[in-house]
Amino acid sequence: MEGCGVNQASVSRACAAVLRRDLTLAWRRRGDIAMPVLYALIVATLFPFALGPEDALLQRIAGGVVLVTVLLAMLLALDAMFRSDIEDGSLEQLVLAPQPLALMLAMKILAHWLTTALPLILISPLLAGMLHLPLPVMGVLMLALLLATPMLSLLGAVLVALTAGTRRSGMLLALMLLPLCVPVVIFAAGAVAAAQQGLPWVAPIAWLGAALALALVLAPLACAAALRIALDA
Amino acid sequence: MTSAHAIPLLQARGLSFLRADEPVFGPLDFALHAGELALVEGDNGSGKTTLLRLLGGLLHVGEGELQWRGQGWNRDARAGEVLFLGHQLGLKMDMSPRENLHIAAGLHGMREGRSAASVLVDVGLPGYEDEPVRRLSAGQKKRAALARLLLLPAVLWLLDEPYANLDRAGIALVNRLLEEHIASGGAALVTSHGAVSFHGGEPKRIRMHG
Repeated sequence: MEGCGVNQASVSRACAAVLRRDLTLAWRRRGDIAMPVLYALIVATLFPFALGPEDALLQRIAGGVVLVTVLLAMLLALDAMFRSDIEDGSLEQLVLAPQPLALMLAMKILAHWLTTALPLILISPLLAGMLHLPLPVMGVLMLALLLATPMLSLLGAVLVALTAGTRRSGMLLALMLLPLCVPVVIFAAGAVAAAQQGLPWVAPIAWLGAALALALVLAPLACAAALRIALDA
Repeated sequence: MTSAHAIPLLQARGLSFLRADEPVFGPLDFALHAGELALVEGDNGSGKTTLLRLLGGLLHVGEGELQWRGQGWNRDARAGEVLFLGHQLGLKMDMSPRENLHIAAGLHGMREGRSAASVLVDVGLPGYEDEPVRRLSAGQKKRAALARLLLLPAVLWLLDEPYANLDRAGIALVNRLLEEHIASGGAALVTSHGAVSFHGGEPKRIRMHG
């Protein structure tokens, strides 16, 4: 640009701006952060009531229950990932900004993961403890969640972007995302079950890690493309 | 501004936009040079907003051709040169005008010698810098969004109904912003129902066929 001086925005400054904005907004509405956590707590509490307080049974299902509960709790919050940004026009401004959209969206997904999945991971030992999951297995469960939850955030972001233009997208989102979660749940639960039986659990964790690496690269790009299509209507 | 006068910033030939194979507007032919203001005129539903969203890059070109500085219509060439202000102001309600401007500056960069504080005084929001946007009136929100125009570097402004919700002083403010922008070699496309009293020369008019 000629004429007047300009301080060009660098990509790193833009990333920081988006991340800081989303974290600040989440902090100002911290009641919303507590919702999925409370939901997970209640759902996990229902299982012993429904199945009876039998130690062996609860121990066997504990890993799977915590995984599925965390997944469903994340699903609750996923719907809101871009909603407010679409409503107030911030998303348009983000799309029009001279920055790589995929990277900006990756920051939004990161902020969303930090504010919804991380609290769930932090309370997962409590949930697992209520279901009598043995202490040594707790570490493997947390590790599996640390790899599985970002996958869900990334896959979910692509689907949220695809359904961005539609009303009442919540149910549609669940119907589309849950089948995609099946492999993630199988590997994550497989690792926990293996650890519980004293078998090597590294292989399923490594598979989760590999899938996460792939999703980290591809999902933001797909998300950006999907959002451009959703806005172009 | 060396060759800017020879080659138009923006050139449209036979431009139209189709929604479900129905033309929303067009075909339109116009050129916009640096230092020019164009008013987009038309009735409700004639496609004024659609045209601005298309020029901003939110919508794809339906039929016809668009050129940016004599080159093809691609996103990278326009990066950072266009600002769009639509009906949705793009302000975060839970944040203050100052915080909103800091985010915008982080994404777009900033003009030399401007700061969030100074442009907020310029648009008439001194004392409201740190008030959450949700507590501001509709007109004040609009002013907070207009502050972006002053802070961010861009050649082309696309303003959709910039006068909506503004009082007399606010309307004068928009006119002053436009005059300064045009005088410094910028260009703007403005849709408006209200009368525009623009003192920087006769604006170009783009008529939408209703």
